[in-house]
Amino acid sequence: MYKRKIFVYVAGLLALAMLLAACGPAPTPEVVTQVKEVEVTRVVAGTPEVVVVTATPEPAQPKEGPTAIVWWSHWANEPSKRVVIEKIRADYEAEHPDVKIVLTWWDKNPMRDALRNTMNAGEGAPDITSDFCLPDEVAAGWCLPLTDVLPWENFVPGTQEASSYAALGYPDNYKYDIGLSMNMIFYNKEIFEELGIQVPDNYQFTQDEWIEMSEKCSAAGYAGAADAIGNRNYPARFPVWFALFNLVGPEEFNKYYSGQQSWDTPQIRQVLDWFVQLRDAGFWPSTFSTMTIDEFHVYFHTQHKACTLWIPSWYTGRAFKPVEQGGQDPNWHFGMLRYPLMNGATAPDAIYVAYESGYHVTSATRHPDIAKDILVFASQPKYGALWTAVTNIPSAIVYDPVKDWPSDELLEELGVVPGQWQWYWEEYNKVYGGLQGGQAPTPLCDKVEQAWASAINEGLPLGLITVDEAIEMMDANLCK
Amino acid sequence: METKAVTNAKLLAARRRHSGWVHPSKPWGAIALFIGPVMVYYCIFVIYPVLATFYYSLLHMTPTGGRIVTTFVGLGNFDRLLNDGIFIQAVKNTLRWGVVGPALEMLTATTLAVVVYFRVPLHRFYRTAWFTPVLVSGVIVGLVFRWVFNVDWGLLNVALRAIGLDRLALNWLGRRDTPLWCVVFVHYWATFGYSFILLLAGLTAIPEELIEASYIDGASTWQAVVKVMLPMLRPTFVTVLILSFMGKMRAFNVVWALTGGGPMHFSETVATYVQTLAFGQQSLDLGYPSAIAVAWFAVVCIGVGLLNRWLSRRVEQ
Repeated sequence: MYKRKIFVYVAGLLALAMLLAACGPAPTPEVVTQVKEVEVTRVVAGTPEVVVVTATPEPAQPKEGPTAIVWWSHWANEPSKRVVIEKIRADYEAEHPDVKIVLTWWDKNPMRDALRNTMNAGEGAPDITSDFCLPDEVAAGWCLPLTDVLPWENFVPGTQEASSYAALGYPDNYKYDIGLSMNMIFYNKEIFEELGIQVPDNYQFTQDEWIEMSEKCSAAGYAGAADAIGNRNYPARFPVWFALFNLVGPEEFNKYYSGQQSWDTPQIRQVLDWFVQLRDAGFWPSTFSTMTIDEFHVYFHTQHKACTLWIPSWYTGRAFKPVEQGGQDPNWHFGMLRYPLMNGATAPDAIYVAYESGYHVTSATRHPDIAKDILVFASQPKYGALWTAVTNIPSAIVYDPVKDWPSDELLEELGVVPGQWQWYWEEYNKVYGGLQGGQAPTPLCDKVEQAWASAINEGLPLGLITVDEAIEMMDANLCK
Repeated sequence: METKAVTNAKLLAARRRHSGWVHPSKPWGAIALFIGPVMVYYCIFVIYPVLATFYYSLLHMTPTGGRIVTTFVGLGNFDRLLNDGIFIQAVKNTLRWGVVGPALEMLTATTLAVVVYFRVPLHRFYRTAWFTPVLVSGVIVGLVFRWVFNVDWGLLNVALRAIGLDRLALNWLGRRDTPLWCVVFVHYWATFGYSFILLLAGLTAIPEELIEASYIDGASTWQAVVKVMLPMLRPTFVTVLILSFMGKMRAFNVVWALTGGGPMHFSETVATYVQTLAFGQQSLDLGYPSAIAVAWFAVVCIGVGLLNRWLSRRVEQ
């Protein structure tokens, strides 16, 4: 009886101890045992592969060890971008042995969920993070100002302005940008040749020619464009963006885009009517509603099932990687086109320029000076050049192509074959060189963002609503 | 008389003491040690979040000036619900599912439980096969069926085309009318095995003598099922039906993985709408999504209460 009692008490105490242990506070950033880090293996010279090793737990560190900075970044599925950021990390750690950067790669949507939850909980948030300082987060004080921190003279003009929320009453700058983002249109040269589609001398089809082209492609069993909305709420917006930008010019475009201006205008009707005509001409793939962003890249460059691809310059992040990882054959060369020439276009020679996802220092950081210093370190011209050389995306950091460009040895060490994508840049310069860059759009309020997603990304392309209904939805959700 | 009764009780107590049988006093220490941790866990991870959700539903949270300002709005968030078209759409979808889903599930689960009860050939295989989907994560089910419903190469459309029904090979997840029913079907496929197993257990618990007696009285198998087994199964049936109804009212992961509530909210449910508002948008206001959660909690409680009452009466009858 006595032994049984003892057993009961011991078992109960054990249960209580386990519960208390489970409810204990999460480790602080100094103790990095909980954080998982995806490591990039060293690349054997001569092979372009960048192999991701399975997640490995960080070894426990004594408190006296280096200061840990937790850095969350998306681009999990874009190895070339990871290579650049990993290089920055390695260089910084080499120069600052007292700092250990714990870098975690995420897909975008889960990262945003995790950030919001950790910031709300006040525990577990990273020191540096990518792409979440939207107006509400800035207003909530979740992002530290970088106005007097970053060397803005190192960036292309307009970068500092684009990283502020002055229009919303927050004039500070909150974002470090490493990459520019330009909207582009690619086409499959073989399919065009097969269907006898002639590209105009100025690489710009008119709005009516786009309809004809889509009809031809559809009749031959190809989609007009490789585009789908399976896991993103924006890809089907591209034709509207490009056409509206071309029709009304950057300034007016920003007003429409950010919900500052009514959509019930002849210009919007012209664009949306054309958008519907495109749909009816067989512009979208049949798998439009389910195909994911990675899948529609493959649909274009490997499966060759679409005549065109409308995409920002971050195409290269997903496509210019080894074929066995879902990338395209480097020997397959596609062509580029300018935006459709809309009837009555006011900006026929403009190109939409915005910024890639960037990085922020969160207000949750316990080491703001170090976190900011890392972004200052990453603002060096050599990293702008490295970004362009490795990712094939224009950089927001100004660099001297002669002095700052990485050596072939370094590129090979990072898994890049120097000159492999030269044809891409030649095509880029041929088609888009000399065009005028339009400024990045004003941040959206939540309402209009949801309306864009619902009406333009889903409703119109799927034929679920009419143009009038789409305009009504947009107007009901303006940011006023 | 009274004195005699008291004396008898005293005698009985004395006899028990003498025989060594003593009503043990409850071991409160041990009880507290075993129940305490669970109660602490329950309070922290269930009671507190529920109470917090009720509290948040009365607030509006606005980020401004570097902090999140909380304003007490009373029933303002609930008032807003009535003018929220997407919420109304989500409620309609969820209620449609709440009626059709359990009906479909109970009908098939009961039929199959009876079939397996009578040990048809391969009954062990059926029992395992029909229960297996329950073991698969809802997210995986959603992703797999996303492929099944793929308009080009999905299993469903390929099969339809193979038998010459090309006209029925639709874009199942990209239309106005089909996404919700795809969700209903997939969730049914993933969960009906649970109801099936519970009903089978209920059938197995019916005393065999009763069924044999009905045969002796000349009943056919059909009559034994309808007149004896199903009436005896009613209490289990009620429980399973209520569980099934509740499952539909709060289903989330299958919908999220299969359609995300789209396109244009045509397959939106209340659970996915709460998730979208709370975490999927820019807004940091947790007040309004909390109000939806509270309102829906009330609706489900009322629904379950009414269903329970109605079915219990029928059982008593």
